[in-house]
Amino acid sequence: MSSETAAAQNLASCHVCCKLAPARYARCPRCGAALHLRKPASLQRTLALLVTACILYIPANLYPIMYTDQLGTTEVSTIIGGVVLLIELGSVPVALVIFLFSVIVPSAKLMVLFYLVWTVENRSILNPRQRSRLYHITEFIGKWSMTDVFVVAILVALVHLGGLLVIRPGIAALSFAGLVIITMLAAESFDPRLLWDARDTRNRDN
Amino acid sequence: MSADIACPACDLLLKIGHLEHGQHAECPRCGCFLTRYRQDADQSVLAFAGTALLLLLLANSDSFLALSAGGLESEIRLWQTPGTLWDYDMPMVALLVTAFIIAIPAAILSLIIVLTLALQRKRYRPWLVMAARTVFLARNWAMVEVFIIGVIVSLVKIASMATVILGLSFWAYAAFSVCFTLAISHLDRYQCWQRIEALAET
Repeated sequence: MSSETAAAQNLASCHVCCKLAPARYARCPRCGAALHLRKPASLQRTLALLVTACILYIPANLYPIMYTDQLGTTEVSTIIGGVVLLIELGSVPVALVIFLFSVIVPSAKLMVLFYLVWTVENRSILNPRQRSRLYHITEFIGKWSMTDVFVVAILVALVHLGGLLVIRPGIAALSFAGLVIITMLAAESFDPRLLWDARDTRNRDN
Repeated sequence: MSADIACPACDLLLKIGHLEHGQHAECPRCGCFLTRYRQDADQSVLAFAGTALLLLLLANSDSFLALSAGGLESEIRLWQTPGTLWDYDMPMVALLVTAFIIAIPAAILSLIIVLTLALQRKRYRPWLVMAARTVFLARNWAMVEVFIIGVIVSLVKIASMATVILGLSFWAYAAFSVCFTLAISHLDRYQCWQRIEALAET
């Protein structure tokens, strides 16, 4: 199989509409988006967003995501606390869903993106197909982490029964929403074609 | 080889060629999905997107969820859900939630309806490019199906403290999420841009 890339032929593939055009064009002739061989400063942008996400990760997990006022007593719950509460309520499957989307997915996403940036920096030629798949999974699963923010929005709106039972939002809801959005942007600014470039240039030189 | 496209995920030059109804193309090197051809794609997009828009209206016009405990009751409409966050001094989260579950999905649906109508009738419009760019950019930011999971988790969390009643709007939103997903999945990025280009040239 001949594996000739667009970049090797000096063709840029538009990242908005996938049109192939000579790389010297400033704008895509079909959709007018700025044309580049690769997303500009992809690694720097991804790293900057990843560091931001790591900082947001701390308040998102330490501060309460919601308060439950029941008959004069206030119960504070963090993200992890919410998972524990669900297990105590006996709903293990739902607890697993929240644990997966709110704890595993955000941290796994950060680690995967750091790893991918690191492999590109080191011009790794190992298993680009697997790394590419890892990237696509990361990109696809990102928005599911928003579940916990929606849970807070719904509970806060629905549960305000006078002095009996009221649920209020905590500051971690904001940090967590920020964390999810920033990691989604980080995944979007990473250019998966970089995963293949080291191998492609090596094949060409030989 | 004169290539049609470079794989968006690995930059390999590819020729897609002719696809039969139901066939799809993926990159032989990295496995990235490229395009799927369906004869009836336009009709499906229009049908699902139209239905989804109507269901979204219905989802906002009746009780979404209701709660009762110890003689006290509360009821919410869908559009009121983020509103309470605003009252608790979290306008950013309120706006984001509204955008992800109502505003962005509604904008995408309206745009893909006008886009598909124009492509189907082969009429070139100067706004086609802008509409297509917006749709494919906004697609990742509609979180309709995530919200449904959020509702289910919330129900489990409060079921032990109070009685929850699912309103008509909840079912409308659930059906909306199905139609929305189907409408989006029938809109093919590669073919949409090919057709816009063909129209622009005539």
